[in-house]
Amino acid sequence: MNHSLNEIEAMCKRAARGAGLSWGLAEEAAKGTRWLSSFGFPGAELLAALLELNDRLPPADFAPSALTGVWSAPSGRMSPLIAGAALSDCAVQLMDAGRIEMERVCVPLLLVPFAAGAALRLETPVAVEWAGVYLATDGRQLCARGAPDAYTAMLADKVAFSTPAEMTDRREPVLRGSAPAEAWDRLGVLAHRTYAPATEASRLRGAGAGLSDND
Amino acid sequence: METTAQTSISLRDPAQVMRLSRLGSLHQCRLSFMRILTRRMARENWSFSRPKFDIDENGVGVAVFSATGPARTYSLIAFAHDLPPEMRSDRVIATAWDATFALFDGVPTDEDIERLSKNVPYQEAGRVSEREISVSRANRSVRLWEHVVSALSEGRQPDATQLDAVGYLMRTTAVYGSGKLGAADREMIAERPEFQVPFQAEMLSVFLTRWFVRDLVQHMADLRAKAAGRAAAQLDPELARSLGIGNSTGLGMAPFLLNHPVLFNNWISAREDAIRIVRSLDSASEDEIALFLRLLQRSKRNVALWQSEHEIQVRKLAGLRNDLEQIDAYLSTPQVLAGPQPWDQMHRWAEEALSLEGQEWLASMMLEPYGSLIDDLSDGMAADNTPTFRIAGAMTIEELRGLLTRIYEWAIGTDWQKRENRARAWYVSEEKLEPRLGERFEEPVEEYEQPLAPGRDAAALFNALAHWQGEIRVAEFLLRHPEYRHTVRRAQIAGRAPYAEIRDNTISHDVLPIDMLRCKLAFFGATQFDPRSDRWVRICMYGNAPYPQELSQENAEFWVYPRLEEGALA
Repeated sequence: MNHSLNEIEAMCKRAARGAGLSWGLAEEAAKGTRWLSSFGFPGAELLAALLELNDRLPPADFAPSALTGVWSAPSGRMSPLIAGAALSDCAVQLMDAGRIEMERVCVPLLLVPFAAGAALRLETPVAVEWAGVYLATDGRQLCARGAPDAYTAMLADKVAFSTPAEMTDRREPVLRGSAPAEAWDRLGVLAHRTYAPATEASRLRGAGAGLSDND
Repeated sequence: METTAQTSISLRDPAQVMRLSRLGSLHQCRLSFMRILTRRMARENWSFSRPKFDIDENGVGVAVFSATGPARTYSLIAFAHDLPPEMRSDRVIATAWDATFALFDGVPTDEDIERLSKNVPYQEAGRVSEREISVSRANRSVRLWEHVVSALSEGRQPDATQLDAVGYLMRTTAVYGSGKLGAADREMIAERPEFQVPFQAEMLSVFLTRWFVRDLVQHMADLRAKAAGRAAAQLDPELARSLGIGNSTGLGMAPFLLNHPVLFNNWISAREDAIRIVRSLDSASEDEIALFLRLLQRSKRNVALWQSEHEIQVRKLAGLRNDLEQIDAYLSTPQVLAGPQPWDQMHRWAEEALSLEGQEWLASMMLEPYGSLIDDLSDGMAADNTPTFRIAGAMTIEELRGLLTRIYEWAIGTDWQKRENRARAWYVSEEKLEPRLGERFEEPVEEYEQPLAPGRDAAALFNALAHWQGEIRVAEFLLRHPEYRHTVRRAQIAGRAPYAEIRDNTISHDVLPIDMLRCKLAFFGATQFDPRSDRWVRICMYGNAPYPQELSQENAEFWVYPRLEEGALA
């Protein structure tokens, strides 16, 4: 189904929060999914799969144990949202070292928007590579080389970020996204957890009406 | 001899400006979005047409109103409905309205209208496409509507006093843009010069809605008169101009200012910069002083017409009316504006002598003669959030502490253990996703709380940092504490954008959400703020404005100030 990017972002933020992520990480998940959707990638489906996999589990289990050496998580399946956010926070470190590597990351495509964020901060293209995939971005455009199946891998053994990166072709974002109804509904189930059940009291008190509008 | 060296005037301190009580006392000014729009349309000589008006004797049908600028045409598609009174509600949870609208990018074909007729009347339950820029709805003011239709149909004009008492024939209850319900994203139109400034599409939609409402009320009067074998009177153009479009706004608008800190900063920053520029002027010319004094008199008529039954606004209005007397006394001092830095002198006097309503009213008025100096500030009112979204992880804990101490001093000094300081919680109801404000200690809403208490959260972050070594980077802290990611981001944004953050408690037992609504609506250009409760406000938009066909360079600027009666100073 055809959606505005704003709708995709709003739904993903609520769904990520509903799956137990902090508000700050939910914002990252939403912005990232919006970014992927604008390049025609199935961001909403991938996010739904990741959120269901780690539903309400402790984030520390899927976070990098340390921001040095090769990043890995104690669970052996690092969250691309937590690792990606940390990568974006470490943009300067990436610039200094030229390369940051990670092990066993789930849904690696969800890392790419964070590389875009780092590229914007560094004003230099950043590349993300895993088996069969080379993606490079300056934050605004994308160079994508890989097999369709490899983009949507559920787990990557090794992921490498590097900068400066080469962009041999440049894909422009579009201003419309799409998400299959099935993925949208799955996100909706998670998002629904963030809505307070309707009660008569909240209907009257919570929004403060109660005066007649027939005047 | 006195020194003539110019003292430089600084921007007002965010700690002074960003208090809810002051934000809740803001008034429209030259930089309000409605005025920016009418100024542009007049300058660019936009043309307007009504390609379709097909509405039956029950008031049901469709009409199209088009506005054409230098490069593009936009059309308001209006669906008129016959709404049973018991369904008339201004709340988000309403499911039917007197009229529903879409702003279309171009001129719609019959197929477009057919497609939209199956969606727009249902609002949130329908879907629109990227060809639509906004979706909105409006309800009649039942009493005034019937008064005007019956008067005109009986061949006479409606009573001006009754028109003034309400101010509008219909009030909008939501105007959705920015990709809501499937419409075009803001990014799709933000590059167009006419929509570069925020909310221009929504303001255009309302401007055209006002035209639709005038035509509809006349049409209904004509049909009623015809049925009785009479001819209806034509609504007097002066009376028609006195009518704006109402708006009824609830809590949905309050989180907007908190959720768009960079955008909010840019609005406040533009107005504050304008105030600084005018205060910095060495002197005022006779023409500038004359224009200021003339508009001041006209603006007082708006204050005189302003009615509210809400005790808070009643009190504020009494204060404002008292302020007006003091302003008159101040300005009657001979040569008071003839000295050096007259506007700064007046501003400083106002800060001592007037209520917040009066101070901000006068600050907005002071900008009026200086369009050539300040109107271009509107170019900076939009926001691109991309550069500010990323967290600067290389910042040290010590630097973050410094930032928090500077921006959230009030919050760090607040006792958040006290129930009264966190009595409320913002949440979203599953009923049409209506935003609501609940009682944290009385209702089961805390687990659904939205991140709309930046002060409390910043104080918690400050405490969490207490035992961290100062030279450690924020990236390390956030790896262990993802729960503070949202708040670190806000603090870093507010560090770069001084007016991004409200410096007040948004969850205290006595918070007034109407202060946030008022602030945003003032930037739209609204007048006649009439709170219906602490979280609900009615306003008037485009009151006294020219209708589209009348719009010209002569009337595009100061329409917000009613013309005075014949013989009075005008």
